[in-house]
Amino acid sequence: MAERERQRLELIEFLRTIQRPDYPLDGIDEESSLVESGLIDSLALLQIVTYLEQSYHIDFNERGIDPEDLRSVNSILELIARDSAS
Amino acid sequence: MFADLKCGTLAELESGRSWSSQEVAVRVASRADAMRSHGLGRGDRLFILYGNKLEFFVDLVAAWHAGAGVVPVDNRLTPFEVENLARTVTPKIALVDATVPSGLGDALAAMGVKVLSSAEPTETIPAVLAHSLGCAARLDDEALILFTSGTTGVPKGVVHTHRSLRARWFSLRQSLGIECFQRTLCLLPTHFGHGLICNSLFPWLFGQDLVIASPFSPYLLLRLGPIIDEHNITFMSSVPSMWGLSLKGSKPPLGKSLRRIHCGSAPLSAHQWRQIREWSGIRAVYNAYGITETASWVAGTSRENFEPEDGLVGEPWGAAIKILKSPERQAPFADANECKVSETGYVWINTPALMQGYFGQPELTDQVISGGWFVTGDIGLVDDRGRFYLKGRERDEINKGGAKVYPTDVDAVVERFEHAIAVCTFAIADPAYGQNVGMAVVLSRHDDATLRQLHAWLKEHLAEFKIPQRWYVVDELPLNSRGKVSRNTVQELCALLKPVDLVRLLRRVS
Repeated sequence: MAERERQRLELIEFLRTIQRPDYPLDGIDEESSLVESGLIDSLALLQIVTYLEQSYHIDFNERGIDPEDLRSVNSILELIARDSAS
Repeated sequence: MFADLKCGTLAELESGRSWSSQEVAVRVASRADAMRSHGLGRGDRLFILYGNKLEFFVDLVAAWHAGAGVVPVDNRLTPFEVENLARTVTPKIALVDATVPSGLGDALAAMGVKVLSSAEPTETIPAVLAHSLGCAARLDDEALILFTSGTTGVPKGVVHTHRSLRARWFSLRQSLGIECFQRTLCLLPTHFGHGLICNSLFPWLFGQDLVIASPFSPYLLLRLGPIIDEHNITFMSSVPSMWGLSLKGSKPPLGKSLRRIHCGSAPLSAHQWRQIREWSGIRAVYNAYGITETASWVAGTSRENFEPEDGLVGEPWGAAIKILKSPERQAPFADANECKVSETGYVWINTPALMQGYFGQPELTDQVISGGWFVTGDIGLVDDRGRFYLKGRERDEINKGGAKVYPTDVDAVVERFEHAIAVCTFAIADPAYGQNVGMAVVLSRHDDATLRQLHAWLKEHLAEFKIPQRWYVVDELPLNSRGKVSRNTVQELCALLKPVDLVRLLRRVS
């Protein structure tokens, strides 16, 4: 659980660098869609992909990108967990 | 429409709705009749505030049948910006739908523009009559007015007549053929030239199938390969930033439907070009060069046996290209002013698809057109094989993933903020978009409350995609060696400074 919490905090810190500045990240539900909530714009998903590649060495060229995996904070954390378990 | 053009089928990717050519013809006739009943006629102008849907194309052609010019409006603009556009072109009617923020319709209604819903019931014209109804438009009437810059100041509207649009379409047909465009996918916005004139109207008005989708949708871009297969797409056009997402995350197409791909509106690197070829499985991937003023695509490559190179465009399509030493219109065509082969200079274009001019701005039009030649603001060269290369841009614009943001538009808004003393907007590098918007501002007060006020001011007056992402509060703007504020000089200075932490600043009030 501690590992997941660390990953969550680091992800939140990263999202802060790419978010729309006037959207309250603190108030975003971890199940809420990052794009539909307005926190990030659609092309910022590419930056999330780069973050996951660099931080967790996830190989998206191999697995492709399922947009549902990047949908919310929780789905991203679950992707990280699944990838490290495989 | 004129007898020489015939609408093809229309389909929407996400909803699955589709209309046959016959249904389109009936709907066009019905909508044209409805528009006329609301007083729309020859010489009038119509705003359409929605796009990328079946109704948009039907309403566009219906308006032409009624004789009106159409202004496709980006509905991300603020009411302030839309009011500015409306004051300039005085539309008689504005069409809205459920996707259009109500503030835009309200702003137009308050100005006396008749605001109608796209869902308004219309009387259905019998199919047998639909094809025989006349078209009020004439060849040299305004067909489209596409606004580029100036939404916050003096709007710059590029006027295309039916003649200039036809010149573009017929020259593309002559240069590229039509077979590859049999089933065309459009993922680009229909309020700007690339997505509308060339990606959509060119194939569709020659009777080909058009599949239209929401622009810049990451969920579509990440499924691009399967979408191409499911819908038997033969052609698509896009911008480099969209390809960034698809190349990274979409499985490639497995079927063999794809015949041609264009990429434009922003520089395409040789590396990404090769990646698109590899991903798509076809060599017919082209860097299509065009500008709103030339009705979009005006050059590209027509042959498959070439290797991608940075800056390579290719041959003119329905145009002549000259590289001159000067961007000035006075006597530009003296021999001494023409660049040698492979010498870099200013790109001038002569094409029958050239705009009629900038709406209501004859002096501005005269500054860019000389003897039928249009100075593009681009830098390029033509090599010894006659191939055109784009080397840079001198136009004062920020290319944010294909969408153009004009620094002067942002400056104009900030200058009107009560505590602003000076401002300079400039391009910053962006990993997703290529470029984004930065701003250096001199304020009479530097406190957080003032900065929050400035942000609110920007949100009220500028579409979100234009709002600067990085702010630098400075004591004065640096001047270049000629004593003027140079965006490049300001950009270089700001690269050494710490920007305002906008997230922290705005967190308290969210």
